[in-house]
Amino acid sequence: MSGEKTTKEILEEKAVRGEYIPLYDPEALKKIDKEFSRWKNTVVREQDRENWEVTPHTILGSELPRELLYTPLNNPDFDYIGDLGFSGEEPYTRGIHPNMYRGRTFTMRQIFGAGSPEYINKRMKMLLEHGATGTNWALDLSTVQMFDSDEPEALGQVATVGVPIDCVEDMEVICKDIDITKVSASIITHYPRNTAIIFPMYLVMAERRGIPWDQLPGSSQNDFIMENLVRSACEYIPPKDDFRVQCDNIEFIRKYVPKWNYVTLNGYNLREWGTSGVTEMAVAVANAIEILKEMTRRGYDVDWVAERLAFFWAPANDFFEEVARIRAVRRLWYKIMKYRFGTKNPRSMWMRCHVQTSGVSLTREEPMSNVVRAAYHALAAVLGGVQSLHVDSYDEAYSVPSEEASILSLRTQQIIEAETQVTQVVDPLGGSFYVEALTNDMEERILNEIDEIERMGGIVEVVASGWLHNKITRYMQREQKMIADGDIKVVGRNYFRAPDLKMPDVWVHEYDERIGKEMRDKLARIRQRRDNEKANNTLNALKQACKHGDNVMAACLECARADVTEGEMRRAFVEAFGLWKSPIYV
Amino acid sequence: MVSQEKKIKVVLAQFPLETHNRGIITVAGMLRDAGMEVVLMGNARAEQIIKVAVQEFADVVGISSYCGGELALGDELLTMAEREGIRDHTVFILGGIFPPKDAPKLKEIGFSATFPPSATREEITSSIKSAIAARSLG
Repeated sequence: MSGEKTTKEILEEKAVRGEYIPLYDPEALKKIDKEFSRWKNTVVREQDRENWEVTPHTILGSELPRELLYTPLNNPDFDYIGDLGFSGEEPYTRGIHPNMYRGRTFTMRQIFGAGSPEYINKRMKMLLEHGATGTNWALDLSTVQMFDSDEPEALGQVATVGVPIDCVEDMEVICKDIDITKVSASIITHYPRNTAIIFPMYLVMAERRGIPWDQLPGSSQNDFIMENLVRSACEYIPPKDDFRVQCDNIEFIRKYVPKWNYVTLNGYNLREWGTSGVTEMAVAVANAIEILKEMTRRGYDVDWVAERLAFFWAPANDFFEEVARIRAVRRLWYKIMKYRFGTKNPRSMWMRCHVQTSGVSLTREEPMSNVVRAAYHALAAVLGGVQSLHVDSYDEAYSVPSEEASILSLRTQQIIEAETQVTQVVDPLGGSFYVEALTNDMEERILNEIDEIERMGGIVEVVASGWLHNKITRYMQREQKMIADGDIKVVGRNYFRAPDLKMPDVWVHEYDERIGKEMRDKLARIRQRRDNEKANNTLNALKQACKHGDNVMAACLECARADVTEGEMRRAFVEAFGLWKSPIYV
Repeated sequence: MVSQEKKIKVVLAQFPLETHNRGIITVAGMLRDAGMEVVLMGNARAEQIIKVAVQEFADVVGISSYCGGELALGDELLTMAEREGIRDHTVFILGGIFPPKDAPKLKEIGFSATFPPSATREEITSSIKSAIAARSLG
C-alpha cells in the first residue's frame, strides 16, 4: 500500500455532506419511533417480531438481512438533496440523465447466435430489422482464447458458441452491408490481449472501406479480470502484464477512435462465475480505480479516460436488491470520481452500464419458466436506470439461443419499453423507505469490499495472489450446497419439482463441420496470398513492443494490416510475456 | 464409520480452450465431499489428461465441456486412452452443456455417463460408483 490512503479513507475524509438538511423532522421521527414500537409490540405477531429480520437466500445473492417493514426510521438522517438529488445531477443516484428513458430508451442489445461470419452477418441484419438498436458479438471459443480456427486445440469448436474471427477478411464478411457508422457494435473480446488483437482488425476493415475511425461507435470488453480471474484457459499471461495491455488498449482507442468505449468493466461474468452482487461491483470498481491511477501515472488527464468508462452488470433474482445496488454503485462512482480523483466533469461521474440478465439463475428444468425469470431481471435493471440491456434466452442451459428464443428476449425488452410504461417516470422506486435503506446498505458493502481489496495491495495483486479466486470458489461451493439442500429455492428444480419431470425437446444449435473446413481453407489461402516477410516483421515488432513497453495495440494494428492472424499474434504475446497458470481452488 | 475401501480417485479436466470452470470446480467439491480423491487439472490437452490419469492410477476421468467439440475431442481422448492401455479399466464421464442428442454418441465413444447442468451430487456419485462396479465385474 506504501502508505497510500484507500478509497474508503479518502471518501470518509472528503465526501462529507456540505449543507446537510435532514428530510425528516425530528419531532416526526420521535413520533414515528413511538408509534412504531407500539405497533411492533402489540399488532405484529410474536413470531414475526422474533423473525423480524430474514436473510434471503438466492442464487448469486448477497444475504443482506431484510426487515419486515421499512419506515423513515431505517434512514433517519436522510438528506434529499445530498443523498438523492435530481436525475442528471450530483450525486446521480436517480439516474445519469435528467429525462432518462424519455430522452433515450435503453439500447436493446442482444447477443447473436453462433455460426460462420456469413451467417452472423445475416443474423445481425435480421435482428436489426426487428428493431435491435445495436449489435453484440459473441465470439467462438477459439477466437475468445485467441487460437486460429486451424490450430489443433480448436478441433470441433469452430463457430459453436459464436462467430470465428481469424483475420481482417472475417471482419469484412461479418460487417458487409452494415452501416458501421450508425450501428454501434459491442465486440465481446473478453480479454485485453484479445481486444488488442481483434479490435485492430475492425479498424483495418473500416480503413479498407474508406470509413474514418472517428466515426465508429461501439465498445470492446478489454478486462483483465476476465482473463486472469473469471475464465480458464491454457495460455494466459501474468496479471500485471495483462493489466498493462488493458491500459495500452485504452490509451490507443481513446486517442484514435474517440466514439469507441474502450473498456467494459465486467462484473457480469465474474458474478455469473459465482459471487454476490456486492463482490461483482467491488471488483469492477476496484479495476476502474486502478486503471485511472495507471493512466494518470502515464500522464493523462483523469477525465480523458474516465468519461468513457462503462460497466457491465448481471441483474439476478433478488429484485429490490438489484434495483438498489445499481443506484448504489451509481452514487458511489460519483463520489469516487469527485472526491478521490477530483473531477469536475459530469461525464466522468456517470456510472454508465450495460446489463445482461443472469444466466446462472436460469434452469434446465421447465425452461419456459426462464422467460419469466429473465423478465423480472430485466425489469429490475430498467427500474435501476441502466443504459443498455441484453435479456438472456430461455434455452441457454441447452445451447446457444435459437432465433425464436432470441427474438422472444428482444420482445421482453420491447414490452417493458412500450407497454409497461415504467420508462415514463425517472427512478420510480426512489424515496421508497425500503429501496433507500437497501441502497445505503449496498453502497456501504461495496465500498467495504473495495477497501479490503485495496488493503491487500490492489486489484492486480489480489488476482495474482489467487485471493480472489479462493474467495469466489468458496462462494460458489457454498451456494451449490445450499441449492442441493434446498436452502435456496429454485422453482422446478428443487422447489415444486414436477414428479414426472421430463426434459423438453429444445432446439439446439447444430454443429456444422463445414464451417471449420471453410475457415481452415481460408487461412491457408491468406497465408499463401499475403506478404509473409512483412507479416513476420510486424510480429517481431509486436514482441518488441511487449518487451519494451511500447503500445501493443499500435503494434497489433500493423499486424492486422499485414493480414497476420489471431493465433499468430497470441503466440507473440506469450513469447514476450511468458505463461501464467491461474490458481484453482476446490 | 471407518471405511477400508480404497478412495476413488478422479482426474477432472477441461479441454484446452474451455472458458467455463464453475462446473468443474463445483463437481470437484461435490466429489471430494463424497469421499473421493480429486485431481483437478483445469485446461489440458487429451495427451496431458491421459498422462496424468496413468500416473495417478485414476479410477475416473471426468471432463467438463460447455462450448462444443465434445464429440471430436472426446473421441481423441478415448483413442489416446486406448493407446496408453487405460481405456478398459478407467471410467470416463463428461458433464456440461451439450446437445441432448449427443449423449448416446458420447456413450458410443466410450463415456460411461454424461451429465447436464442440473445433475445432482447423488446422481454423479452413484453413476461413478456403478460404472466402477461394472468395470470390475467386466
